[in-house]
Amino acid sequence: MEVTYKINRKDPENGGESGYATYQVDLPEDATVLDGLQKIRDEQDDSLAFRASCCQGTCGECAVRINYKAQFTCTTRIGDVTKKAPEVQLDPVRNISVIKDLVFDMDAFTWDKMAAVKPWMEPDEEFAPTENIVSEKDMADVRKTMSCYQCGLCDEGCAVLPVNFDFLGPGAMVKSYRFVMDPRESGAQMDARMKVVEQPQGLWDCVHCYEADGKCPRGLTPSTKIMEIRDVSFKEGIKNEKVGRHHASFINSVKQTGWLDERKLVMETEGLTNVAGLMKLLPTAVRAMRRGKMPGRHEKRPGADQIKRIIEKAEESK
Amino acid sequence: MKYAFYPGCVAKGGCPELYSAAVKVAEKLDIELEEMTDVSCTGAGCMPTQLSDPINARTFAKAEQMGLPIMTICSTCQGVFSQANHRLQDPEYREEINREYLADEGLSYQGTTEVTHMLWVLFEDYGIEKLQSLIERPLNGLKVSPFYGCFIRRPGNIMVPTKEVGGRRTYLEDLTRILGAENVDISGKTKCCGFPILTANEEASLGMVSKHAGESKGNGADCMVTPCPLCHLNLDGNQPRAESQKGEKIDLPIIHLPQLVGLALGFDPDEMQLSRHIVSTKAVNDKIDMLT
Repeated sequence: MEVTYKINRKDPENGGESGYATYQVDLPEDATVLDGLQKIRDEQDDSLAFRASCCQGTCGECAVRINYKAQFTCTTRIGDVTKKAPEVQLDPVRNISVIKDLVFDMDAFTWDKMAAVKPWMEPDEEFAPTENIVSEKDMADVRKTMSCYQCGLCDEGCAVLPVNFDFLGPGAMVKSYRFVMDPRESGAQMDARMKVVEQPQGLWDCVHCYEADGKCPRGLTPSTKIMEIRDVSFKEGIKNEKVGRHHASFINSVKQTGWLDERKLVMETEGLTNVAGLMKLLPTAVRAMRRGKMPGRHEKRPGADQIKRIIEKAEESK
Repeated sequence: MKYAFYPGCVAKGGCPELYSAAVKVAEKLDIELEEMTDVSCTGAGCMPTQLSDPINARTFAKAEQMGLPIMTICSTCQGVFSQANHRLQDPEYREEINREYLADEGLSYQGTTEVTHMLWVLFEDYGIEKLQSLIERPLNGLKVSPFYGCFIRRPGNIMVPTKEVGGRRTYLEDLTRILGAENVDISGKTKCCGFPILTANEEASLGMVSKHAGESKGNGADCMVTPCPLCHLNLDGNQPRAESQKGEKIDLPIIHLPQLVGLALGFDPDEMQLSRHIVSTKAVNDKIDMLT
């Protein structure tokens, strides 16, 4: 079948973007999008740059956006794409600088951020540098995350990266999960680990929008993993001071009254002795007051005592 | 048609206009609401599941006693509730929560409470044709950007189970159209509004406000509509700060879902308390005035 490829050509090193180029390729229906790319490069345009390695969906090298959806070219069939659209449009993945055409900068995208989360284990002293047996139960989830391709598709869908490229991203957080949940790092080592995970641009910069859960080709649910690391942080003590104040105030408010005291939350998050921080809130507070949006007196809810009892019991059992 | 009404903290706090609009609209549609007053905040993702699951199980047990499904008007409440309810379908986990936390109060959750958002209610329970037949003021000419935000859409397997319900992915667009308004699409309509990282990274949070509201304005919208008061707090309440950060005026009114429905049902902007928004809704009010 005759297939139209529309490829976003970019060559920043040699003078910037050159826009979309169109190619006609004759391919069998069961060919992959990658087969077409290779045919174009072999027969029509040897300057076309794209990345591929295993050609069987196990390395994650060939991630691109196929008709706006980030996928692997080696596992996507032409017939499936053309069923839904008349042409095959290929763009590089988002949230990342492009080196040329469909090839993006893996250093900035993945490797620098992976390096920033200390992707190696520093076991406690009790684990002598010999073989250490850990239980299957403890390692089941951890081992799953070891199957991450580091393809970057989770970061590609991230809602934070388009406005803050310095965010470490869901990919690096999945890597963190592998070490946070490993029983061999505990005590002081666990403390050090959580400091790394909770660094600025790390754990607490995620908006928990669950976008990444739907993007991972390995089904590793990066967003859920991030929330599980946060549950660990609650247990270990939150290392980010401002976030710690925010969560403590939130929980305390629900514990004391049954529901959230928004006014108190905003002030306690800033810190009651942080005059500069509190002053910064003033314009927003004035605007809210003028519009009748400032919450009124915060009354205790009926049932608040039961809610307090439940939260205190749950806190004790952590 | 009756629900255990769970307005959430923000509708009773920083967005009182959402609460009153929802109540007025429900009354007009003859949807009976029995407000749950002795239940807790959901935790809103700010409490670890270890603390929030037990208090949410308590809320579900209370609704179960009332024999009513819960209706929320907040995507964040809805998201946290849906995920908690999903976990509590595991009988072993549910029994543990019942035994450890609810039994002392003589409560027990059997796992049968349905939790649904007002947006879903209109389509799945009330019937959109019925709503259409009650429209007194079609919002002709009003250009609206639907903004879902994240929690009413994801995790997909829980929030938009495609096999059971086909249309949850387009309810806001469908509703806007049915109310007579024109859809103005933006690329980030299912992305986060930025509210959850206001504490950890204010600059990025405000950057999201500029991105979404700015794109909507640039595409010619008169306003944005959202089913989530936390999206509203950031997109409306922090729009002036996002403007200062970017050095660009945006000036886009952000309308709560029940307010938009209310306007089409014949309520005036004052009755829907549009005057309580931070960003002036004058552009919307003027168009509504022309329709009446």
